[in-house]
Amino acid sequence: MLKNYHELLGQSLPRLDGEPKVNGWHVYASDVRLPGMLVGRLLRSPHPHAAIRRIDVSAALAIPGVFGVITAADVPDVRFGVLVKDQTLFATDRVRFHGQPVAAVAARNEDIAERALAAIVVDYEVLEPIETLDQAFAPGATLIHLGWEGYEASPVCDRSGNVCNHSRIHYGDVKAALAKAHRVYEHSFTTPLQHAGYTEPRTSVAAWDSNGLVTIHTNCQLPFEVQQVVSEVMQIPLSSVRITVPGIGGGFGGKLRIGMEHYAAVLARHVGRPVRVSCTTEEELIAAHPRQAAHVTVKTAVDREGKLLARVARALIDCGAHAGSGPSVAANTLQLLAGPYEIEALDVQAYAVYTNKVPTGSFRAPSGPMANLAVESQMDIIARDLGLDPLEFRLKNVFTENSKGPVGEKLASVSIAECLNRAAEAIGWVRGNPEANRGKGMACGWWLVAGMSSGVVLRLNGDGTVTMQSGAVEIGTGALSGAAQILADELGLAHSDIHIAMADTQTSPYDYGSQGSRTLFNVGNACRNAAEDFKAQLRQMAGRIYGVPVEEVQIRDRGVVLPDKHVPMVEIAKIVNFREGGLLARGTTFTPGPAFDASRVKNHTLPAWSNPSFFAHAASVDVDEETGEITIRDYVACHDVGYAMNPAAVEGQIQGGVTQALGLALSEEIIYRDGIVQNANLTDYKMPTAQDVPDIRCVLVESPSVSGPHGVKGIGEPPCICPPAAVANAIATATGLRITSLPITAEKIVAARAA
Amino acid sequence: MPLNFHRPSSLREAMDLKQDLGEACHFLAGGTDLMIQRNRGRKIVGAVVDLSRLRGLDRIEPLGDGLRIGALARMRALETDERVRILAPALAEAARVVGGAQVRHMATLGGNIANASPAADTVPVLLALAAFVVVLGPNGERRVPIAELLAGRGRTTLQAAEIITHVELPRPARGSAFLKAGRRKAMEIAVVNAAVSLELDAKGLIHAARLALGAVADRSLVVADAEAMMRGQAPSPELFKAAATLARDASRPISDVRASADYRRHLASVLTERALTLAHKRLVAATTGIPA
Repeated sequence: MLKNYHELLGQSLPRLDGEPKVNGWHVYASDVRLPGMLVGRLLRSPHPHAAIRRIDVSAALAIPGVFGVITAADVPDVRFGVLVKDQTLFATDRVRFHGQPVAAVAARNEDIAERALAAIVVDYEVLEPIETLDQAFAPGATLIHLGWEGYEASPVCDRSGNVCNHSRIHYGDVKAALAKAHRVYEHSFTTPLQHAGYTEPRTSVAAWDSNGLVTIHTNCQLPFEVQQVVSEVMQIPLSSVRITVPGIGGGFGGKLRIGMEHYAAVLARHVGRPVRVSCTTEEELIAAHPRQAAHVTVKTAVDREGKLLARVARALIDCGAHAGSGPSVAANTLQLLAGPYEIEALDVQAYAVYTNKVPTGSFRAPSGPMANLAVESQMDIIARDLGLDPLEFRLKNVFTENSKGPVGEKLASVSIAECLNRAAEAIGWVRGNPEANRGKGMACGWWLVAGMSSGVVLRLNGDGTVTMQSGAVEIGTGALSGAAQILADELGLAHSDIHIAMADTQTSPYDYGSQGSRTLFNVGNACRNAAEDFKAQLRQMAGRIYGVPVEEVQIRDRGVVLPDKHVPMVEIAKIVNFREGGLLARGTTFTPGPAFDASRVKNHTLPAWSNPSFFAHAASVDVDEETGEITIRDYVACHDVGYAMNPAAVEGQIQGGVTQALGLALSEEIIYRDGIVQNANLTDYKMPTAQDVPDIRCVLVESPSVSGPHGVKGIGEPPCICPPAAVANAIATATGLRITSLPITAEKIVAARAA
Repeated sequence: MPLNFHRPSSLREAMDLKQDLGEACHFLAGGTDLMIQRNRGRKIVGAVVDLSRLRGLDRIEPLGDGLRIGALARMRALETDERVRILAPALAEAARVVGGAQVRHMATLGGNIANASPAADTVPVLLALAAFVVVLGPNGERRVPIAELLAGRGRTTLQAAEIITHVELPRPARGSAFLKAGRRKAMEIAVVNAAVSLELDAKGLIHAARLALGAVADRSLVVADAEAMMRGQAPSPELFKAAATLARDASRPISDVRASADYRRHLASVLTERALTLAHKRLVAATTGIPA
């Protein structure tokens, strides 16, 4: 069959949610207002580390217009957490980060709520904070969680003191490889905390109904996980919690873990009225779920020809005060520390470490840019030292088809060499450095598609359109719009004939959620399966209704085609409703990971990467000789996307991801001093502006995946991984200076030059 | 905290309101900094007297060879006004890099002065342009050199109910330039900024050189040593470099979340030299008609 037989696939169709979003009438969770709704606000700790001696809320309660004030004493004594149950709704006897919730109020309006917060008296005994990774990781360090041994935790986590997971991938004879090496290199790199930068702050509106059901309208990425946590925290049945996501103004992994939902729910229960809780910018910057800070050390051994012999690496991942996503983020660094390279022997270890800082999350490609900066910076250092071109050096060592991955898995659809060559070609790669203060750099990498399961339910509407119900949230990537392209193609409908229902745990089928570059991949597969069920049912029904053999019924051209006529979908839909009790169809998918060698890997949440994608980036920069100012002149991102279901959407994902990672590379960082955030505002937390980002040129490689719909691979997260390394390498070419800590500011360039 | 909002219809009424309402009452022009300070709890603002609708105070008009600019002139107007661009290019340049476009449609020149941020963008330019500020108070009008108005971080010598009504640029400043450094290329508070203005005499020697820096002291800083040193000298790269060294030495910056004191001193030098070079080029272009 010719590829272009499908009219809807591979087309840059407008997103189904595009018009309302562009025009400003799309409804987001923050737009939800309910009758009688109160404003909920959180009192947050001003200290990074302190014991709570006493809390007195009486003055706050006495303020007219205050409906309720709650603390840990008013809620069930429950610890929760995805992998380690180390957090409570409110601080009990101790606060562990600047911004930790201590109490909450519900009041008639913002002003009264603010006054109530100011009237709560908390008597703290201030303790010394453990602010840095090195402090927390040092032997004999003060314990952030005194009773950590007593916390319930997933068996995947290997915990000890301030370490909430130690994971490792190890194979081959590292010692022998190091011994026979031509040269061995060791370098350390650090990266800062980065906020996920979504436009809409975390906001939840909760209301209880007469059946004891709490409905929470919210902007989370994982409604089913949030439902679970709320039920756990409140000690109510799972089915008594309903999460709906009307719209979400960006997530980027920062809204995977629970946000304001549980606070809205407990406040609403306490006061018996709907309550809305929404974070301020300051709260977002001190107490959201940012990208972990990291400290990565890499030691690499090479032979005389430039083949990689061994790599030993250690990543310290700063989880902050709670484990959150940290144990899995740390584990995920391991595949990135190996890189898309064949290495004879490998021993890479990662530690998820507690500190007295903000608990962290799963920001787009969690662990990606941190580990990639280390590995890809060092690849350039080695190439230079060996007198090899960085491109040539990488090509000598990258995976090829059927290479074994780090846990012994067999790799398929390996396109890394093509990505490197095409990125180099697009940027105009030249060996050496022909111009002063101007240089090019590259970096490459690989990333997984998170598997797990997705379900889709289809409903044929009376007007001949189809509603697609998915528990995955359209977080702004256009992934569900892409899934609708697949569905419309299967059903012979127009793209606009598909309606995407709001994610709602009461009605939507289960989905593992919009995370891990998996949405289009998994929901798309579920759509294909659901379409099979839909067509099978509709053929049967058409056969009955029109008295024709089922095998003579075709479904295409926005209707049902019988031997002697075409029945428009709108016509048959009405009959199906009257005579057949309507049509509901269902499709599911589950993508298992590849077979791997379990002896190579320990304490890893995603031990073997499924359907990996490959990519290479190249940057061209100017560095001001005197001020150190960095200007990115040109940027190329080459990605193997398997199959570009919607090329415009794919390019949007690439450009957005590169932009966010350029922020990490050059300007963004949450800055702490003595455990207190110093830049909790958008004046001094610097996300890139349009002036800071060049036109990002996308090069698409389409090497189909084994199990994605039409060969699709994941594209949500990969664009976020290489920019810091590509830019650092370009700066090194331009200036001869190797900056090993992000963000690479002009000031660091000047300081390095002076040193 | 509730905010009482007053919108007077005359300057007289505005002054009366301010006198009645006292300390916690602030004049509001664009509000682009005042409201942020209030929201972050850094300024107690119980009431505002909104000046933004007072008529006629946003005009940009000729004043002899120079310009008279209403205190309510928006940054966006200064950035785009043809006369400002020709007669005081440094002012247009500074206005162009205040916040983003939305902020520049709100923020005013008078507000930027009264706010007295050490990192203000237009204030060093006004210093370099030897601007006068016209101030109206309950006891009448006074006209003061801009330098006399600045009293420190967030402080001016304005009396309680005094209102800035105009800024006067007495002479054209075709040979002026403004440069700014920040972590990003836009939407920045200056890490350091520099404004210069040069005038040459008939022999091509420097008749007057004025130089002011932002974000290197508790207020916008005039580098008088460099000004005196350049007077009567022939413009040259060496001269500008020497002036840059004096600018660096005069700087008394702090280290903060935006930059270290060392880097700020370094930038004071680099930006001064570049701004002088650029201003000189412009002046030559303006006199010879050959574009810089």
